[in-house]
Amino acid sequence: MRARYVLTEVFLGLWRNVTMTIAMIITMAVSLTMVGASLLMFWQVQDMKEWYYDKIEVSIYLKKDVTDEQRTAIEAAIKEDPLVEHYEYETSEQAYENFKQMFRDAPDMVSAVKPEYMPESFRISLKNPEQYQLAYDRYKDYPGISEIRDQRALVDKIFSILGGMQTVALAIAIGQGVAALLLVVNTIQVAAYSKRREVAVMKLVGASNWFIQAPFVLEAVFAGVIGALIAFGALAAAKAFLLDSGSLEALTDILLTVPWSRVFTTLPFLLGIAAAVNAVTGWVTLRFYVRV
Amino acid sequence: MTKTYPKASRPSLDDVSVGIEKGEFVFFIGPSGSGKSTIIKLLLREIQPTRGKVLVNGREVGSMRSWKIPQFRRSIGCVFQDFRLLPNRTAYENVAFALEVIGKSKAVARRVVPEVLELVGLGGKEHRYPHELSGGEQQRVAVARAFVNRPLILLADEPTGNLDPDTSIEIMRLLDRINRTGTTVVMVTHDSNIVNQMRRRVIEIDSGRIVRDQPRGVYG
Repeated sequence: MRARYVLTEVFLGLWRNVTMTIAMIITMAVSLTMVGASLLMFWQVQDMKEWYYDKIEVSIYLKKDVTDEQRTAIEAAIKEDPLVEHYEYETSEQAYENFKQMFRDAPDMVSAVKPEYMPESFRISLKNPEQYQLAYDRYKDYPGISEIRDQRALVDKIFSILGGMQTVALAIAIGQGVAALLLVVNTIQVAAYSKRREVAVMKLVGASNWFIQAPFVLEAVFAGVIGALIAFGALAAAKAFLLDSGSLEALTDILLTVPWSRVFTTLPFLLGIAAAVNAVTGWVTLRFYVRV
Repeated sequence: MTKTYPKASRPSLDDVSVGIEKGEFVFFIGPSGSGKSTIIKLLLREIQPTRGKVLVNGREVGSMRSWKIPQFRRSIGCVFQDFRLLPNRTAYENVAFALEVIGKSKAVARRVVPEVLELVGLGGKEHRYPHELSGGEQQRVAVARAFVNRPLILLADEPTGNLDPDTSIEIMRLLDRINRTGTTVVMVTHDSNIVNQMRRRVIEIDSGRIVRDQPRGVYG
């Protein structure tokens, strides 16, 4: 019976102040969507680092006029090198084949390049791709090397773009989050004011504190939960209509697809964050602002 | 016991010591600002004494932990000059509300509320809203609400302040009847007529000090 009383009060309270309730839910939904998006991006970057770092290699391109001794000296050094997981040697012809393969859709480009233009190279996988600088320092002074290139530099650029997007999403999440919390504070103040007579009587006859405060706090929590569900819906829609079959589909080539399981994993996070933050805000408002 | 409000130049109650027995009927009288209402607030633990103790039913109220206050207040009924009824609830619902919010079931309310409304003389008017009742009737609803939990103590802060003399007398008869059930009644008033008619213990306060305490007293 008490639970029913509290629930009735919650819905009455939300309905009595319905415009504010809607504003509260919308801002929360936007904020939580951004929280969810940055969460997804964070996980995605972690995954991609693992995936890419596994595959990327350091390429040591040799000069056109490299001598056999120089090549052998370099190969010997690589073989001994504890940093190196494994390596491959690529001749000009192999490089040309790879090039033809890569640009098979652009015959003009292929015909403009001759096998002898392609440099021969050592392709090295490092045990730890982060140790690129060490490897670079070790080989840069060998004669016969024209260039040492780290593919990691390229993927790191992608990661820094993703990181930037994540920062922007977080910034929006925080800005909207602050707005949402201020709305929660205001909503509770209005609700407490509109129920001030009831609250005064309840205190007078000795209703317990939680019984007086629960409806207000639950109003905020309920709005938060709705906001989280909307945010989850937005994320799922973004996956289905933007990434899977929409304008951002091309991105998934480089970014790895975002699996559905991961989108679902955001739901408990969003619900938890929304409920906890709103409950605390509601309680603090009652305790220190309204003194219900 | 002393109570000094922050920013006040002198204490509202200055070294006051008074004992009230179970089942007594006590008037606190005195001019406005003498500290009468401070006593009610202290007994309800709406405020705490600056110095000294407030003992109610053997328990120290002044230093009571805040989470124990609700339970404590269930043993006290309270009536005010302005009735403090909920305007959007009927007489029945106003009284039942006091039961519901402390966790009593609707079945208990259905049994107890009509009984207590009958006791205060509102039989047949259960479903009127406060604005459909006269001032005296509204105060009866308030008394019913204060009494429905069978409190040990009934506090009344100028309960007749908004009522005409005849109606005031009726409310006093009601409080007297409640007192006869064993409930201690503490009433703050400056209604000399009533004090003189009732001939109960009178404690007069002036400038925060007790200047008179006599059984079966009259107003100044």
